[in-house]
Amino acid sequence: MTDIVTMLTMNWASIIGIVIGGICIAVGVHFVPVGGAPAAMAQATGIGTGTVQLAAGSGLTGLLAAGYMYMTLSAAGVPGISEVALICATGAVGAMIMITVTMIVGNWVYIYGVGVPPASAKKDYDPITGDPQAPYVAAGTVGQGLPTVCFVSGAMGGLLGGLGGSLIYCMLMWVNGDPAISSIFAIGVFLVNAVLPSYNIQGTIEGFHDPKFKRVPKAILACFIASLLCGIIAVTIPGAAMLGGA
Amino acid sequence: MEPAMGMGLVALMGAAATVAGCSEDLESDIGSQSNPNSQVQLAAQVGYPHRIFNKAISGEPPSNAMYCAVGAGVAMVLMSESVMSASPLIEIAIGAFVAALLNGVFSTTSYMGRNASQTRFNQYVYLDVLRNQVLSLMGHAYIATFCIVLLSYVLWEQTLIGHPFPFPVIALIWGLCVGAIGSSTGDVHYGAEREFQDFKFGSGLNAADSGNITRFAEAGIRSSMDNAWFCSKFGGPATGIAFGMVVFLDNWRSTAFGGWTAVVVGLVIVLALVIYNRKIETYARKKYGPYPEYAGEIAA
Amino acid sequence: MSASTETANQIDTKGIVVGLVGIYIAGIAASAEIPYLAFLAGIGAVFATKMGADAVRRVCSYGIGTGVPSIGMLALGMGIISAMFGLALGKMYNAVFIGPIVGLVIALAIGFVVGTLANKIIKLNIPVMERCLMEIAGAGVLVLTGLSVMIAGSMDFVVITEKVIATGYIAPVFILGALGILHPFNASLGPDETQDRTLIHAYSCGAIGMTIAGVCSIAVLDPIAGIISIVIGLAIWYVTFMGFVRLVKRDAGAGYVGTGLLPPGAM
Repeated sequence: MTDIVTMLTMNWASIIGIVIGGICIAVGVHFVPVGGAPAAMAQATGIGTGTVQLAAGSGLTGLLAAGYMYMTLSAAGVPGISEVALICATGAVGAMIMITVTMIVGNWVYIYGVGVPPASAKKDYDPITGDPQAPYVAAGTVGQGLPTVCFVSGAMGGLLGGLGGSLIYCMLMWVNGDPAISSIFAIGVFLVNAVLPSYNIQGTIEGFHDPKFKRVPKAILACFIASLLCGIIAVTIPGAAMLGGA
Repeated sequence: MEPAMGMGLVALMGAAATVAGCSEDLESDIGSQSNPNSQVQLAAQVGYPHRIFNKAISGEPPSNAMYCAVGAGVAMVLMSESVMSASPLIEIAIGAFVAALLNGVFSTTSYMGRNASQTRFNQYVYLDVLRNQVLSLMGHAYIATFCIVLLSYVLWEQTLIGHPFPFPVIALIWGLCVGAIGSSTGDVHYGAEREFQDFKFGSGLNAADSGNITRFAEAGIRSSMDNAWFCSKFGGPATGIAFGMVVFLDNWRSTAFGGWTAVVVGLVIVLALVIYNRKIETYARKKYGPYPEYAGEIAA
Repeated sequence: MSASTETANQIDTKGIVVGLVGIYIAGIAASAEIPYLAFLAGIGAVFATKMGADAVRRVCSYGIGTGVPSIGMLALGMGIISAMFGLALGKMYNAVFIGPIVGLVIALAIGFVVGTLANKIIKLNIPVMERCLMEIAGAGVLVLTGLSVMIAGSMDFVVITEKVIATGYIAPVFILGALGILHPFNASLGPDETQDRTLIHAYSCGAIGMTIAGVCSIAVLDPIAGIISIVIGLAIWYVTFMGFVRLVKRDAGAGYVGTGLLPPGAM
């Protein structure tokens, strides 16, 4: 028979993993250049969609890759730390691929469909390439498309989001060993940690060069508490097998 | 599984994803869903009532996740031996049909609800707009859902790829993903170009013109149906390529390579895309040049 | 507007009481080998959906800086963990009947904490944030528990894991629950939005969730129980949908037209 106290004492490591994963997601959301609704009208720099949706789309794509990798590796026993590192790397790269492909095709649409050069209005010069930005910002807008700095920032955001999601999944698998429960809980924890930072961002952010990026510590603190709470609750839920079920 | 079989399945999934992405984007363009919706919503408020379909089913990713999860859930019910055991294709088709019905219901309520909430701005609820476009929306949603549920089935089925997540959960994740991609790629073509087609090509929307959407067509008043005609030339296929590329590249690297090699291959893909992005960025800057309105100094 | 308005307290009371009572009757009846009352848990979920939709309506009138959908996703993210925790706790201590209440209490607690975090740390400064997030998370738990109990015909965590989670039916339940809570307000966004129209729409969205959950329960519970749920769900949906259309007619007034050009002055 299992009870809460034994579950907690057995799984303290998983709680720490879930908290780290939650913080990765929170920071990752700040890296993703989202322009929100204005970007869909080429009125602001970034990807033309909402923060949560894009972070969830990429992070969960990574989760799918990570889940498959976990299954492959667990054929040889419960994955240890080095296997978990591989699983998280797989998830992170899966999320990076999703977000970079989205950004590149987004840029096709901006360049070939709308006819605008990518430019950011938050900085005069691109911090990575040093290109001037202001001359390429259309009148009445705050930039458009995805210049290199946003693109790189977005890839990093995908990396962190995918890493966090996969880490949470691995930690939950350690606890309950059931991919179905773990996947749906990982989605739940992911969404909580993606929505809170999006309130911090308030709509749009261009990436790590954006002044709003300085708000990141607030999101880390909020997500630390929120994922600690979610972690404590989630690790006390055993798999059905442990309860003597099917 | 044999490598050739694995690659074949990955290719099939990529193809299904391409069709799904394209159809999903056209669906959201006809319905003005997602972010371009903000302008349709604003138009009446700033004095431009219109006959364009206005639907917002809670943002594209959750709504597509809903169609796909429901489609997969219904297909899963039919797959259980106690109910029916026909070919999976038929079951997936029925699941997608149920999802398309939900799309119709949710589209109807959001068109009616949103326009009725703007009565004070003289925005009418046109029943013919509703009737004409709901079927087209449902048709596109059906194609998108069918393809995504199909690719989720290939990923999940134990004799094929055998992913450990439950079938509807996989469909839910791919639905979220296609919605996120559709709203960040193809919708820009609709929002920045089609919605403001009577403005000069080659710049984003000037904030001063917000809400002044193109309401008149070549002859008469524009309906949302024409959006599919316009967007299917570029925005839709681009979305399809994006989603197909995500599904294909992500599964290809984990099927063809294993362990850390797959991770490295993934990183190489990402790096290649970063470089390619830089290439098209410089191309666009050279080709289009700075905006003439810019008054400041132009360095190099 | 002459239509009667319901206060937040009335809606919450109805949502929680009807939600819990529905879940308990369905659960107890199922353990007494009568699965045909499973639809009552679905009716509980419909009322809980309405409670969540009203909370979304109140909090989103403040402009939360990002789209309406995110708050529904937040609610269900918190809801799924709390709901399953409640059910698992009931199983661990051999008291399955405490499950839904524990889940609800935990969700209210998490909702309060997350609301406080949003207000105090992220500084959204929305006065109703704590209360509304508590309501939304509570509604999320009741919807998820209600529909899961309805599909599985049991409040036993092991049975629910086997019949709802391992089969993946949790995915449509999860997303339909989220859409049911956030779609009613999102679909009526605008200055002339009225509470009764939004809430009747919430009933109809809840009924859609109930119908789809009924379809899922055909495979795992009992075909007759599933069909009862589907028929009742469709009936509720039809009545509320027609009610919604009637209120659209009322609110749109002369603007409810079969066809026509743009209104006078706009051509």
